[in-house]
Amino acid sequence: MAEVAWLVRRPLIVGDKSVAQVTRDICAAMETRPSALWWAGFLAALSLLGLGVTAISYEISTGIGTWGENRTVGWAFDITNFVFWIGIGHAGTLISAILFLFRQRWRTSVNRAAEAMTIFAVMCAGIFPLIHMGRPWLAHWMFPYPNTRGSLWINFRSPLVWDFFAIATYLTISLTFWYVGLLPDLATIRDRTASPWRRRIAGILSLGWNGSTRTWQRYEVVYLLLAGLGTPLVVSVHTIVSWDFATSLIPGWHATIFPPYFVAGAIFSGMAMVLTLMIVARKTMQLEDYITPRHVDIMCKLIIATGGIVGLSYATEFFMALYSSNPYEQFVFLNRATGPLCWAYWTMVSCNVLVPQLLWFRRVRSNLVLVFVISIFVNIGMWFERFVIIVTSLHHDFLPSSWVSYRPTCIEVATLLGTFGLFFTCFLLFVRLVPVIAIGEVKAVVSHDKLSGGTHA
Amino acid sequence: MSRRVMLGFFEREEDVLAATRAAREAGLRILDVYTPYPVHGLDRAMGLAPSRLAFVCLILGLFGAVFKVWFEFWTTSVAWPINVGGKPWNSLPAFVPVTFEVMVLFAGVSTFLAFLVVAGLRPGRAPVMPDPRVTDDRFVLMVEETDSVFDAVRVEQLFAGFRALHSEERVEARS
Amino acid sequence: MSAEGANRYWRALEERGAATAAEGPDEFAARREGIDLFLSRRGFLKAAGFGAAGALLASCARAPVQEAIPFLSAPEEIVPGHALYYASTCAGCSAACGMLVKSRDGRPIKLEGNAEHPLSRGALCAAGQASILGLYDSHRLRSPLHRGQRASWEEVDRAVGERIATISKNGGAVRFLSSTITGPTIRAEIDRFLGSFADGRHVVYDPLSCSAILDAHERTHGARVLPRYLFDRAEVIASFDADFLGTWIAPVEFAAAWRAGRDLEAKPPRFSYHVQIEPLLSVTGSKADRRIRIAPRELGPALSHLAGLLAKKAGLTFSSPPPADPELSAALATLADRLWQARRRSLVVCGSQDVATQVACNFANEILQNYGNTLDVERPSYQKQGNDRALQELLSEISAGKVAALFIAAANPVSELPGGENIAAALDKLPLVVSFASHRDETADHAHFVCPDHHPLESWSDAEPVAGIISVTQPVIRPLGQTRSLVETLSTWRGRPTPAYEIFQASWRSRIFARQSQETSFQRFWDRAVHDGVAAVEPARFSPRPFDVSAVKPAAPAKAGAAEGLSLVLYAKVAMLAGQHAENPWLQELPDPISKVAWDNYACLAPATAAALGVAEGDVVRLDFGAGSLELPAYVQPGQHDGVVAVALGYGRKGTARFAGIGPRWLDAEPSVGRDGLVGVDASGALELTDGVLRYVREGVRIAKTGRTRPLACTQTHHTITVPDMFAANGSVRRPVVQETTYAAWQGNPAAGREGEEAESEDLWPDDHPYNGHRWAMAIDLTACTGCSACVVACQVENNIPVVGRDEVRRHREMHWLRIDRYYSGSQAEVDVVYEPMLCQQCENAPCETVCPVLATVHSEEGLNEQVYNRCVGTRYCANNCPYKTRRFNWFNYPHQDPFANLVLNPDVAVRSRGVMEKCSFCVQRIQQAKIEAKQAGQPVADGAIQPACQQTCPAGAIVFGDLNDRSSRVAAAVANPRRFRVLEEMNVRPSVNYLRVVRNRDETDGEKSHG
Repeated sequence: MAEVAWLVRRPLIVGDKSVAQVTRDICAAMETRPSALWWAGFLAALSLLGLGVTAISYEISTGIGTWGENRTVGWAFDITNFVFWIGIGHAGTLISAILFLFRQRWRTSVNRAAEAMTIFAVMCAGIFPLIHMGRPWLAHWMFPYPNTRGSLWINFRSPLVWDFFAIATYLTISLTFWYVGLLPDLATIRDRTASPWRRRIAGILSLGWNGSTRTWQRYEVVYLLLAGLGTPLVVSVHTIVSWDFATSLIPGWHATIFPPYFVAGAIFSGMAMVLTLMIVARKTMQLEDYITPRHVDIMCKLIIATGGIVGLSYATEFFMALYSSNPYEQFVFLNRATGPLCWAYWTMVSCNVLVPQLLWFRRVRSNLVLVFVISIFVNIGMWFERFVIIVTSLHHDFLPSSWVSYRPTCIEVATLLGTFGLFFTCFLLFVRLVPVIAIGEVKAVVSHDKLSGGTHA
Repeated sequence: MSRRVMLGFFEREEDVLAATRAAREAGLRILDVYTPYPVHGLDRAMGLAPSRLAFVCLILGLFGAVFKVWFEFWTTSVAWPINVGGKPWNSLPAFVPVTFEVMVLFAGVSTFLAFLVVAGLRPGRAPVMPDPRVTDDRFVLMVEETDSVFDAVRVEQLFAGFRALHSEERVEARS
Repeated sequence: MSAEGANRYWRALEERGAATAAEGPDEFAARREGIDLFLSRRGFLKAAGFGAAGALLASCARAPVQEAIPFLSAPEEIVPGHALYYASTCAGCSAACGMLVKSRDGRPIKLEGNAEHPLSRGALCAAGQASILGLYDSHRLRSPLHRGQRASWEEVDRAVGERIATISKNGGAVRFLSSTITGPTIRAEIDRFLGSFADGRHVVYDPLSCSAILDAHERTHGARVLPRYLFDRAEVIASFDADFLGTWIAPVEFAAAWRAGRDLEAKPPRFSYHVQIEPLLSVTGSKADRRIRIAPRELGPALSHLAGLLAKKAGLTFSSPPPADPELSAALATLADRLWQARRRSLVVCGSQDVATQVACNFANEILQNYGNTLDVERPSYQKQGNDRALQELLSEISAGKVAALFIAAANPVSELPGGENIAAALDKLPLVVSFASHRDETADHAHFVCPDHHPLESWSDAEPVAGIISVTQPVIRPLGQTRSLVETLSTWRGRPTPAYEIFQASWRSRIFARQSQETSFQRFWDRAVHDGVAAVEPARFSPRPFDVSAVKPAAPAKAGAAEGLSLVLYAKVAMLAGQHAENPWLQELPDPISKVAWDNYACLAPATAAALGVAEGDVVRLDFGAGSLELPAYVQPGQHDGVVAVALGYGRKGTARFAGIGPRWLDAEPSVGRDGLVGVDASGALELTDGVLRYVREGVRIAKTGRTRPLACTQTHHTITVPDMFAANGSVRRPVVQETTYAAWQGNPAAGREGEEAESEDLWPDDHPYNGHRWAMAIDLTACTGCSACVVACQVENNIPVVGRDEVRRHREMHWLRIDRYYSGSQAEVDVVYEPMLCQQCENAPCETVCPVLATVHSEEGLNEQVYNRCVGTRYCANNCPYKTRRFNWFNYPHQDPFANLVLNPDVAVRSRGVMEKCSFCVQRIQQAKIEAKQAGQPVADGAIQPACQQTCPAGAIVFGDLNDRSSRVAAAVANPRRFRVLEEMNVRPSVNYLRVVRNRDETDGEKSHG
């Protein structure tokens, strides 16, 4: 709440906008013709997507053998990417739901984009549980439906089933939450746009929204409820993802610290991704007045905090292993740090623990270029965190006879790039078609700033 | 059958808020207030009762949870009991995660749907609103002209007292 | 055991109802009853003889008069979907083990050891198991060739006949070249054929020659005989570079005997003391209680010195200088003591091809009075008859063009002998060269006529591996091509075409029937022999001349002069042997028991040597020996002598070009063949055939790096149980996944060597899953397991496990359900080896089951961990969560394009599709079969009635399978054995596979190992 008081003193949205101006500014991004920069980005993303689609089609038509996995390392890039993207997604829900509950009004400028990011990230993540299957065309067997096999149901003891339900729920709730938030803005578009097509579509999607206070009242209740549901949900989802590993018996996976460790890591990586996107978006879409250095500053602080938790988890894992006097456990961690794949481990540590420490300095936080670079580092580091957890734990486990190495194939790399293609394609379309900033909420903030400004003047 | 309404157009949230309060004190029948963003306290000013959507959320959430626990137990240890990894038939702890997810799913989706129903929102419905700029920067207060003795002038003055841009009377078809 | 074996074989006829019952509606019930009526014990023996007769009639398709009976009018005893077993003889090598051919719907699909066979005792080796694939080999010649062109038998017979006629008119040397043929009938037929010429001679050689042993016995005992070695009677075994558990003479027979000599469960326990003195790390050496590395050139002097030491004890005047190495001479002294104490119960064997050394070996055995006790020259072995001197003469004859006609059977001199290309050139000059090869091999290419012999499963034959033990080979399928049995061909050319069946029966009537007394009627004797697969008859006794001491000369000490350069040792792998099986993909993909490398041969270097040369594994090196050079990848082999570089024979065969495209084809796939389009490199050029012996050792070999690398397809990349020190906190470097102790310690405490107490901890869960019926379990005695890998191939054949090719193996995606983990302990130079067969452990609390989302792997009420292929969606979570990593994933649709080879598939086991997890099922199809039979017979499943493929074929009898709930079962006893432990017990997954601790015959009681 101190935060609120502090917010009241200094306006969140600079440049003393009128409400109408807010509408204009934000909708401008959609109404002007796309810039060359947008086209360049879009085509790049699209071609990456194409690459990914090719790779995945080849894998599905030929076999998982086109990946570098083997009898000992059964998961590698596939599940690494899955956890990575899910993690990215979580920041969106965090910003929109948790910060909403905490009345962190600065979120209004970024929550829309963050939620969109969540949805796209979860889409990217969702690909992998599907394609990592040997027989993806039977994926529907993961769902318990009455069938002619007995009925043979599913194994509710399997973390993969938990995963399936968690991801499905998460995607649904995130979409709902996002759409509810979008309703008023869709109405705004409907009422001001010149193009008949856009009017018709917005008209259908806005469900006949008419800004009536009765609706607003219910709207706020629903929004609050969804936020309230989303908050435990986001925690549960990554907890369950971490259980994929924690409930197994592979040394390096079988650890009780995983749930908090994974959730923190998720928020950490998500924040970094939000920063990456926001810093680009505000530049390219002239939204400097809405996404101010202060937003960046606050997110940087969150990164320091979550990064700290992640670093602590790394240390704790090590300590527990050495303290446990379990030879397998000890081996796995020493092997991580000094074994054949230690380069991955140290990439992870330097990107996730060392680099973010720079953000302690206000000068760094206020230098957007630096922040951008750091956020990229964190993204890389968090990808490697998942890679390290999955591959280094598997490749040298109990019986020395099964110890092997792992090398990714071009198909795996192409698949990873492909998901980035999908993500950015969706995101670039999003900034063209939907207000990147929640107009309604920003208006509230603007006039609130005016009010408080007025009283102080 | 139609009715006459008096509309007051405002530019700032505090004005419409004050105007609404005043109108209510003056005993006018406030039909609705249209705003581009949620104005806090306006529902109280209009004297709206709090929404009951929270109950929908609670009930269906609980239903989802209970149903799922039962379903998991039934499939694993009643319908077709299979020895999986020597685990006991009733592995309740293992059922918790899915139960939670399903609970959230039921609660969230049902609340949303309930909202659409009670708010009468549905795809393709034409918006009923006094002024397209409501979704931009206009605040519109709509009061009903209850009877013949209704004094439009006084109401206009009342609105004007709160820096209303202008006021106008309309006949609107009641649905 | 033997009773059980008979039971197994003969149950075939009773079973026909069972199989159909297993297949739901029993449409054969009527038929079955019809037969059951007359199936009294006697009637059933009648039926047996009749069945055998029917089968043999069905077989003689190529015979001039007889007609094959088409399968449409099936023989009486054939019931669709129901297996019959025919006794026969394995032709995988010259050891001639007894086997049973499992035939389904007239189609042989599996070979099993014949438990009634006195030598092989129910076991087969890896090569034997795999040899069935040769029957369905699409590259086999389907018809005779004339100058490389397909021809009809009539043309060939006419053409050959004419030439033979001219030769017998004008005279001229006729030579018949073959590898060892133990069959008395075939040998007689060959002699009879050669007898029709003025100058006809049969020259025998073995690519893996034991000629020196026979020569030595000629000197000491006056006859070229190969003694029969009786390892089971030996209490002290001193083996000088004789790999008798791996590739030497008759590994299966020897392994069984060796195992019988070290039986801790016997009352009283007996445990032989086995010392191996060898330059390489051989399979035998890996099982020795004491292993001494020695340079090849020091082998002779060492053995001679040992003989000297023994002579001194015996009060004879013979001495030989001690070897330079004091440690070695000390070791020899202690060995001499042990041997001397165990006179008449000891055995000295030697694999050297140096006659003087073999003479010294004979001398040592003579002093120890082992002749007549642990090795038998009066009833000798015929398993190796090669005479390298005769071979050398023949080759010079050939190159001099003095041979008018050369017939080559069961031999491939061009690829197996040194100077192959010269031989080939010489062959081209000869007027008549006839090969009986079944493939267009290197030699057949230079023959005027190729007259392909039947596959052993298609033809009649016999074998007398050891004097007095005669086994029968009977046809189990109509010949698949236009091939003709060797004896038929010879009889035709002799002008008296006779069907093989008649030839053999006649020969048995005249030669063998006379040598036995149990049976009075020949027919009964014959039927009995065909049905048992083996007959014991009076051996052709040979009484040796008294030992001639004058033949023994002390060996000169190893010349230090020869020390520069390395000594190149050419050895044989258990799978490839000399290359007869090079075209068998199963054997190509079988990891070598020691190196764990498949699909290649390589230059083995000792770690020290490799380090000195700066050579790493996979670096391609050039070996320069006088006559030529070899280029192959290096492999660093712990436990090998520093002065040695070892290369396996049998690779680089012409036929292996077929494997270029084997395995899945995709973007990154690499061929299984090398740059020259063949699998491995042919090292036979480095052999030497000088002064009458084929030599496998060359001195003064230079080695150099080529700069190229060729990563080897190695299935095990980390070779020790101890983890590298850098990764080991609090000094816990050794993983208790394999446990071992010493004989001395074991005698003190049978549970010695236990690491970590059994964790039968209190269970928090309710006991929801009691095992009331059967509770299947397995026990594997690691003391017995020799790592020979027969089980691996047996499992592959039984369970339709695909061959994935070199590239996939290199990517660690081999599909073997059963693998043999091989761990080293001790120093790099002096290693101890343990083998641990690792298969699905069928855990009670199976980690794999819990994590499967779709219930594709679940637990049966009999304790089996079942994999449901149809349900599997392939998340691979189960494999990740398996602490033993015994699950195998179908990364691709593995090729089954060769429809001919697919005939070998086991119809009882599904062929898995792409994207599905698979693993060992304890041969559940056999369990079901046995249960159905028991049900039909209305009695409980007898202990031992169920034998998984791995147990069935194990020469050392290391594997026991059975029902834990049956307190009297062998497996229950094994589980109660104090030596028993379970891998990763502390995790409480409760595996159903138990292991019996490794015991080494050593004196230390503290369990820590010493190195000789």
